[in-house]
Amino acid sequence: MSEVATVVVGWGITFVVLATYSTWVVIRGKGIGQELGIGEIEQSDVEKDTGATTDS
Amino acid sequence: MPGANSGAKMTATPVTRVLGVSALAATALMAVLGLIVSPPDVIQGEAVRMLYVHVPSIWIAYGSFALTSISSVLFLRRSRRRADQGRHYDRLAGSAAEVGVVFTAITLITGMLWGKVTWGTYWQWDARLTTTVLLFVTYLGYLALRRLPAEPTVRSRRAAVMALISFVNVPIVHYSVDWWRTLHQKASLSVGRRPEITGEMYWTLLYSTLAVTILATWLIIHRYRVIRLEELRDEEGLEALIASRLNKDVGGH
Amino acid sequence: MFLVARKDLRVERRAKIALGQVAPLALLILMVFAFALDANTSLLERGAGGLYWLAVLYGGTLLIQRSFDVETDDGNMDALRMSAIGMPSLFLGKALALFVQITVLELILGPGILLLYNVGVVDWALLFAAAIAGTLAFSVCGVLWGVMSAGLRVRATLLPLLLVPVLAPVLLAGSRAFETALGVRAGAGWTWAGLMFVIAAVHTALGLGAFGFLLEEG
Repeated sequence: MSEVATVVVGWGITFVVLATYSTWVVIRGKGIGQELGIGEIEQSDVEKDTGATTDS
Repeated sequence: MPGANSGAKMTATPVTRVLGVSALAATALMAVLGLIVSPPDVIQGEAVRMLYVHVPSIWIAYGSFALTSISSVLFLRRSRRRADQGRHYDRLAGSAAEVGVVFTAITLITGMLWGKVTWGTYWQWDARLTTTVLLFVTYLGYLALRRLPAEPTVRSRRAAVMALISFVNVPIVHYSVDWWRTLHQKASLSVGRRPEITGEMYWTLLYSTLAVTILATWLIIHRYRVIRLEELRDEEGLEALIASRLNKDVGGH
Repeated sequence: MFLVARKDLRVERRAKIALGQVAPLALLILMVFAFALDANTSLLERGAGGLYWLAVLYGGTLLIQRSFDVETDDGNMDALRMSAIGMPSLFLGKALALFVQITVLELILGPGILLLYNVGVVDWALLFAAAIAGTLAFSVCGVLWGVMSAGLRVRATLLPLLLVPVLAPVLLAGSRAFETALGVRAGAGWTWAGLMFVIAAVHTALGLGAFGFLLEEG
């Protein structure tokens, strides 16, 4: 494999891995969200998590 | 991904949309800089371009694992005071660890490809490669621990302790392997010697680190939310199970 | 702490697993190494130190598994937790029991490699120091990580996965120290032994701190 080919393969694999992982995370979120019938999570949910009350 | 309509049920928020778009743009620019704009190295030629991915990846991996450990400490302290507290720290630990593992894998792959060009072989028993593999397997183990069929509190606690111990242990492993390899280093082979990075290459590297950081942050946030959703689903599943059992007892449904 | 150790050892004496099963198995492993390496005497001689520790790793992992299977199978975990025995004693006690068991294993393996791999001892002091240091490290790490995977159905596969990356430097150090002690290669044997002691000490400290957390339920 030539130098250039190796570089292309390296970058290519990286992008494929990251793209696949990103897509998986987002789709999984979407999927479970639909299962639970939850709409968009608001920013405030994160703040709720860090509060003193137990998690809902 | 960003730009979905308001009726969609997903884990996005305005913040992460901005982050996501930034990540996309940043990595695109990183590719342009790394692959086209920046010059080939005097000694290594085109292979140096691999380092623009390889080096930021391992830095981000280290950062993610550090985040996991810090989060784990906070989790243990919180949950000590009240049993069900601090679960967000636990989720963050898990999310960061997974992202860290992904980037460690990328580090290894790009490292081996770089090695193939520079050393002529995919694998060398040099300190960096070896310790990175051990790091990778360590946190794979951590992720496996997190998936255990056990009570969530037990699971989270064990994982947190493991993250802490690993935080201490990883440097020890690193030092051991490093010392081992320096003892065996032949004078002729400059194994694992990274090039002097100057000028445009330096800025490209710096920028790449920024781009990767943005991407990693976006990933960690989204993964965190997915974990949270998974927990909610498991809890609801459990409640439904209990409820259906109760119904059966009453003779209803 | 001695109470706990004694209990574990008493169970062991009755079952005779270490002596009866694990030691012969480890000896067998030494044989199998020779088969794998085509009984290449120079290779075996050079690798004796490393192969010894590999055998210890294998046998030791089995002993660690067993150490915790005993607890969970009998439902002892709850009893131990609620008893007056402090966490430190529990931790150290199990580590001590494990140390004894692994030592028994090594008492078979040691002569094994001397015999089978045709190596002689150049530095007895180093050999023993390294063996003790390594066994200490194995025992302490074993208890700590053993409890991490205890009581779970997947423990048999999880334990090695968690344990081996942690023990990797011990394996490294032990092999190098033994190489020097067996006269195979001149090296910084004592430094390697020292490293193993450090690893053992660090994990003892970590274990004492974390054992409580790990055994708590909910």
